[in-house]
Amino acid sequence: MKISSFKWLFGRNSEFWPTNMKTGMWAWVGHRLTGLALVAYVFLHLSFISTASMAEGGADFDALMETTSQPLFVAMDFLLVIVVIYHAMNGLRVVLFDLGVGIRRQKLVFWVTMAISAVLIVGGLLAIWHLVFPEGVA
Amino acid sequence: MSEQRVATSKVAGTWAWAFQRISAVLLIVFLGVHLYAAHFMDVGAETGEEPLITFDEVSLRLDQLLYIVVDYGMLSMVLLHGLNGFRTVLFDFDMFVRRKKLIDVTLWVVGIGTLIWGIVILFPFISGAGG
Repeated sequence: MKISSFKWLFGRNSEFWPTNMKTGMWAWVGHRLTGLALVAYVFLHLSFISTASMAEGGADFDALMETTSQPLFVAMDFLLVIVVIYHAMNGLRVVLFDLGVGIRRQKLVFWVTMAISAVLIVGGLLAIWHLVFPEGVA
Repeated sequence: MSEQRVATSKVAGTWAWAFQRISAVLLIVFLGVHLYAAHFMDVGAETGEEPLITFDEVSLRLDQLLYIVVDYGMLSMVLLHGLNGFRTVLFDFDMFVRRKKLIDVTLWVVGIGTLIWGIVILFPFISGAGG
Protein backbone atom coordinates (compact mmCIF):
# COMPACT_ATOMS: atom_id res chain seq x y z
CA MET A 1 0.00 0.00 0.00
CA LYS A 2 1.31 3.45 -0.93
CA ILE A 3 2.03 6.08 1.76
CA SER A 4 -0.52 8.43 0.17
CA SER A 5 -3.35 5.91 0.36
CA PHE A 6 -2.40 5.12 3.95
CA LYS A 7 -2.74 8.83 4.70
CA TRP A 8 -6.07 8.90 2.89
CA LEU A 9 -7.27 6.04 5.07
CA PHE A 10 -5.86 6.99 8.48
CA GLY A 11 -4.66 10.62 8.18
CA ARG A 12 -6.00 13.74 9.91
CA ASN A 13 -8.71 14.28 7.32
CA SER A 14 -9.69 10.61 7.03
CA GLU A 15 -12.87 9.07 8.38
CA PHE A 16 -10.81 6.96 10.80
CA TRP A 17 -9.08 9.89 12.56
CA PRO A 18 -10.43 9.69 16.14
CA THR A 19 -11.98 13.19 16.23
CA ASN A 20 -13.73 12.53 12.91
CA MET A 21 -15.41 9.37 14.18
CA LYS A 22 -18.93 9.42 15.64
CA THR A 23 -20.56 6.85 17.91
CA GLY A 24 -21.65 4.44 15.19
CA MET A 25 -18.21 4.50 13.59
CA TRP A 26 -16.51 3.71 16.91
CA ALA A 27 -18.93 0.83 17.40
CA TRP A 28 -18.13 -0.46 13.89
CA VAL A 29 -14.35 -0.19 14.33
CA GLY A 30 -14.62 -1.90 17.72
CA HIS A 31 -16.71 -4.70 16.25
CA ARG A 32 -14.13 -5.42 13.55
CA LEU A 33 -11.12 -5.32 15.87
CA THR A 34 -12.78 -7.59 18.45
CA GLY A 35 -13.98 -9.88 15.65
CA LEU A 36 -10.48 -10.32 14.24
CA ALA A 37 -9.10 -10.93 17.74
CA LEU A 38 -11.75 -13.61 18.38
CA VAL A 39 -10.93 -15.46 15.14
CA ALA A 40 -7.30 -15.58 16.27
CA TYR A 41 -8.41 -16.80 19.71
CA VAL A 42 -10.44 -19.70 18.29
CA PHE A 43 -7.32 -21.13 16.63
CA LEU A 44 -5.36 -20.74 19.86
CA HIS A 45 -8.21 -22.44 21.75
CA LEU A 46 -8.24 -25.42 19.37
CA SER A 47 -4.46 -25.80 19.56
CA PHE A 48 -4.72 -25.97 23.37
CA ILE A 49 -7.40 -28.67 23.16
CA SER A 50 -5.24 -30.62 20.70
CA THR A 51 -2.75 -31.34 23.52
CA ALA A 52 -5.21 -34.00 24.70
CA SER A 53 -4.00 -36.31 21.91
CA MET A 54 -0.31 -35.83 22.76
CA ALA A 55 -0.04 -38.05 25.82
CA GLU A 56 -1.89 -41.11 27.14
CA GLY A 57 -4.83 -40.24 29.40
CA GLY A 58 -4.60 -36.53 28.53
CA ALA A 59 -1.62 -35.86 30.82
CA ASP A 60 -0.40 -32.99 28.63
CA PHE A 61 -3.86 -31.49 28.54
CA ASP A 62 -4.14 -31.59 32.34
CA ALA A 63 -0.70 -29.98 32.69
CA LEU A 64 -1.69 -27.20 30.31
CA MET A 65 -4.95 -26.61 32.20
CA GLU A 66 -2.94 -26.41 35.41
CA THR A 67 -0.75 -23.69 33.86
CA THR A 68 -3.64 -21.73 32.38
CA SER A 69 -5.39 -21.62 35.76
CA GLN A 70 -2.57 -19.43 37.10
CA PRO A 71 -3.57 -15.83 37.93
CA LEU A 72 -1.79 -14.28 34.93
CA PHE A 73 -3.68 -16.49 32.47
CA VAL A 74 -7.01 -15.95 34.22
CA ALA A 75 -6.36 -12.20 33.99
CA MET A 76 -5.92 -12.65 30.24
CA ASP A 77 -9.18 -14.63 30.21
CA PHE A 78 -10.80 -11.50 31.60
CA LEU A 79 -9.64 -9.60 28.51
CA LEU A 80 -11.35 -12.30 26.48
CA VAL A 81 -14.51 -11.81 28.55
CA ILE A 82 -14.53 -8.08 27.71
CA VAL A 83 -13.90 -8.69 24.00
CA VAL A 84 -16.58 -11.38 23.71
CA ILE A 85 -19.23 -9.41 25.61
CA TYR A 86 -18.60 -6.26 23.56
CA HIS A 87 -18.75 -8.19 20.29
CA ALA A 88 -21.90 -10.10 21.31
CA MET A 89 -23.80 -7.06 22.61
CA ASN A 90 -22.84 -4.78 19.71
CA GLY A 91 -23.64 -7.63 17.31
CA LEU A 92 -27.08 -7.94 18.90
CA ARG A 93 -27.55 -4.22 18.28
CA VAL A 94 -26.67 -4.71 14.60
CA VAL A 95 -29.17 -7.59 14.34
CA LEU A 96 -31.87 -5.41 15.96
CA PHE A 97 -31.24 -2.64 13.41
CA ASP A 98 -31.45 -5.12 10.54
CA LEU A 99 -34.83 -6.20 11.90
CA GLY A 100 -35.86 -2.52 11.85
CA VAL A 101 -35.81 -2.16 15.63
CA GLY A 102 -34.34 1.01 17.15
CA ILE A 103 -32.59 2.53 14.12
CA ARG A 104 -34.04 5.97 14.82
CA ARG A 105 -32.53 5.87 18.29
CA GLN A 106 -29.28 4.18 17.31
CA LYS A 107 -27.08 6.15 19.73
CA LEU A 108 -29.38 5.42 22.66
CA VAL A 109 -29.47 1.72 21.70
CA PHE A 110 -25.66 1.73 21.56
CA TRP A 111 -25.34 3.12 25.08
CA VAL A 112 -28.01 0.75 26.44
CA THR A 113 -26.15 -2.26 25.01
CA MET A 114 -22.90 -0.86 26.43
CA ALA A 115 -24.54 -0.49 29.85
CA ILE A 116 -25.69 -4.12 29.71
CA SER A 117 -22.16 -5.09 28.60
CA ALA A 118 -20.68 -3.27 31.58
CA VAL A 119 -22.95 -5.18 33.98
CA LEU A 120 -22.06 -8.50 32.35
CA ILE A 121 -18.33 -7.67 32.47
CA VAL A 122 -18.56 -6.85 36.19
CA GLY A 123 -20.35 -10.18 36.65
CA GLY A 124 -17.51 -11.92 34.82
CA LEU A 125 -14.94 -10.15 36.96
CA LEU A 126 -16.70 -11.23 40.17
CA ALA A 127 -16.83 -14.84 38.92
CA ILE A 128 -13.06 -15.06 38.34
CA TRP A 129 -11.82 -12.61 41.00
CA HIS A 130 -10.79 -15.37 43.43
CA LEU A 131 -8.75 -17.05 40.70
CA VAL A 132 -6.79 -13.90 39.83
CA PHE A 133 -6.22 -12.94 43.47
CA PRO A 134 -6.16 -16.27 45.35
CA GLU A 135 -4.58 -14.62 48.41
CA GLY A 136 -7.05 -11.75 48.43
CA VAL A 137 -6.10 -8.12 47.87
CA ALA A 138 -4.28 -6.39 50.73
CA MET B 1 -10.79 1.25 -0.79
CA SER B 2 -11.14 3.54 -3.75
CA GLU B 3 -13.10 6.61 -4.84
CA GLN B 4 -15.93 4.58 -6.35
CA ARG B 5 -16.64 2.24 -3.48
CA VAL B 6 -19.02 -0.69 -3.86
CA ALA B 7 -20.98 -1.59 -0.74
CA THR B 8 -19.40 -4.62 0.95
CA SER B 9 -22.85 -6.22 1.24
CA LYS B 10 -23.07 -6.22 -2.59
CA VAL B 11 -19.73 -8.03 -2.88
CA ALA B 12 -20.25 -10.47 -0.02
CA GLY B 13 -23.81 -11.43 -0.99
CA THR B 14 -27.18 -11.67 0.73
CA TRP B 15 -26.71 -15.22 2.01
CA ALA B 16 -23.43 -14.32 3.72
CA TRP B 17 -25.18 -11.36 5.32
CA ALA B 18 -28.23 -13.32 6.48
CA PHE B 19 -26.16 -16.24 7.73
CA GLN B 20 -23.99 -13.91 9.82
CA ARG B 21 -27.08 -12.72 11.73
CA ILE B 22 -28.49 -16.21 12.30
CA SER B 23 -25.17 -17.68 13.42
CA ALA B 24 -24.60 -14.67 15.69
CA VAL B 25 -27.74 -15.39 17.70
CA LEU B 26 -27.02 -19.14 17.77
CA LEU B 27 -23.48 -18.47 19.02
CA ILE B 28 -24.73 -16.47 21.99
CA VAL B 29 -26.79 -19.53 23.03
CA PHE B 30 -23.90 -21.94 22.34
CA LEU B 31 -21.48 -19.78 24.33
CA GLY B 32 -23.80 -19.82 27.33
CA VAL B 33 -24.00 -23.64 27.26
CA HIS B 34 -20.25 -23.91 26.57
CA LEU B 35 -19.25 -21.79 29.58
CA TYR B 36 -21.73 -23.53 31.86
CA ALA B 37 -20.60 -26.99 30.75
CA ALA B 38 -16.88 -26.23 31.02
CA HIS B 39 -16.81 -24.27 34.26
CA PHE B 40 -19.95 -24.81 36.32
CA MET B 41 -21.57 -28.14 35.51
CA ASP B 42 -20.85 -30.99 37.92
CA VAL B 43 -20.22 -34.22 36.00
CA GLY B 44 -19.24 -36.11 39.13
CA ALA B 45 -15.55 -36.56 38.32
CA GLU B 46 -12.78 -36.41 40.89
CA THR B 47 -11.51 -33.04 39.76
CA GLY B 48 -9.11 -32.19 42.56
CA GLU B 49 -8.87 -28.41 42.71
CA GLU B 50 -12.26 -26.96 41.98
CA PRO B 51 -11.68 -24.44 39.16
CA LEU B 52 -9.45 -26.77 37.17
CA ILE B 53 -10.67 -28.31 33.92
CA THR B 54 -9.38 -31.88 33.63
CA PHE B 55 -9.24 -34.51 30.91
CA ASP B 56 -11.42 -36.91 32.94
CA GLU B 57 -14.03 -34.25 33.56
CA VAL B 58 -14.32 -33.37 29.86
CA SER B 59 -14.37 -37.08 28.98
CA LEU B 60 -17.25 -37.74 31.36
CA ARG B 61 -19.21 -34.82 29.94
CA LEU B 62 -18.64 -36.06 26.41
CA ASP B 63 -20.14 -39.44 27.39
CA GLN B 64 -23.39 -37.67 26.69
CA LEU B 65 -24.28 -37.37 23.01
CA LEU B 66 -25.88 -33.99 23.72
CA TYR B 67 -22.53 -32.40 24.53
CA ILE B 68 -20.82 -33.91 21.49
CA VAL B 69 -23.55 -32.29 19.37
CA VAL B 70 -23.17 -29.00 21.28
CA ASP B 71 -19.37 -28.95 20.92
CA TYR B 72 -19.31 -29.82 17.23
CA GLY B 73 -22.27 -27.55 16.52
CA MET B 74 -20.53 -24.64 18.20
CA LEU B 75 -17.29 -25.42 16.37
CA SER B 76 -19.06 -25.31 13.00
CA MET B 77 -20.87 -22.08 13.81
CA VAL B 78 -17.73 -20.39 15.17
CA LEU B 79 -15.74 -21.23 12.04
CA LEU B 80 -18.51 -20.16 9.65
CA HIS B 81 -19.21 -16.94 11.57
CA GLY B 82 -15.54 -16.09 12.16
CA LEU B 83 -14.32 -16.73 8.63
CA ASN B 84 -17.42 -15.13 7.11
CA GLY B 85 -16.76 -12.05 9.24
CA PHE B 86 -13.11 -12.03 8.19
CA ARG B 87 -14.31 -12.26 4.55
CA THR B 88 -16.51 -9.18 5.07
CA VAL B 89 -13.53 -7.24 6.42
CA LEU B 90 -11.38 -8.28 3.43
CA PHE B 91 -14.02 -7.19 0.93
CA ASP B 92 -13.87 -3.64 2.24
CA PHE B 93 -10.54 -3.44 0.39
CA ASP B 94 -10.37 -3.24 -3.39
CA MET B 95 -7.29 -5.41 -3.62
CA PHE B 96 -9.24 -8.29 -2.07
CA VAL B 97 -12.47 -7.66 -3.98
CA ARG B 98 -10.41 -8.17 -7.13
CA ARG B 99 -9.40 -11.62 -5.86
CA LYS B 100 -12.84 -12.67 -4.62
CA LYS B 101 -12.73 -16.18 -6.09
CA LEU B 102 -9.30 -16.94 -4.63
CA ILE B 103 -10.34 -15.67 -1.20
CA ASP B 104 -13.60 -17.63 -1.19
CA VAL B 105 -11.82 -20.86 -2.09
CA THR B 106 -9.04 -20.25 0.46
CA LEU B 107 -11.50 -19.51 3.27
CA TRP B 108 -13.54 -22.65 2.51
CA VAL B 109 -10.38 -24.76 2.54
CA VAL B 110 -9.20 -23.21 5.81
CA GLY B 111 -12.68 -23.58 7.33
CA ILE B 112 -13.24 -27.20 6.36
CA GLY B 113 -9.66 -28.11 7.26
CA THR B 114 -10.02 -26.53 10.69
CA LEU B 115 -13.41 -28.21 11.19
CA ILE B 116 -11.87 -31.64 10.52
CA TRP B 117 -8.96 -30.82 12.84
CA GLY B 118 -11.39 -29.66 15.52
CA ILE B 119 -13.47 -32.83 15.19
CA VAL B 120 -10.40 -35.07 15.43
CA ILE B 121 -8.82 -33.40 18.48
CA LEU B 122 -11.94 -34.15 20.52
CA PHE B 123 -11.66 -37.93 19.84
CA PRO B 124 -9.33 -38.65 22.80
CA PHE B 125 -11.90 -37.13 25.17
CA ILE B 126 -14.78 -39.05 23.61
CA SER B 127 -13.04 -42.46 23.56
CA GLY B 128 -11.19 -41.92 26.83
CA ALA B 129 -14.39 -41.62 28.85
CA GLY B 130 -14.10 -43.17 32.30
CA GLY B 131 -17.67 -44.51 32.31
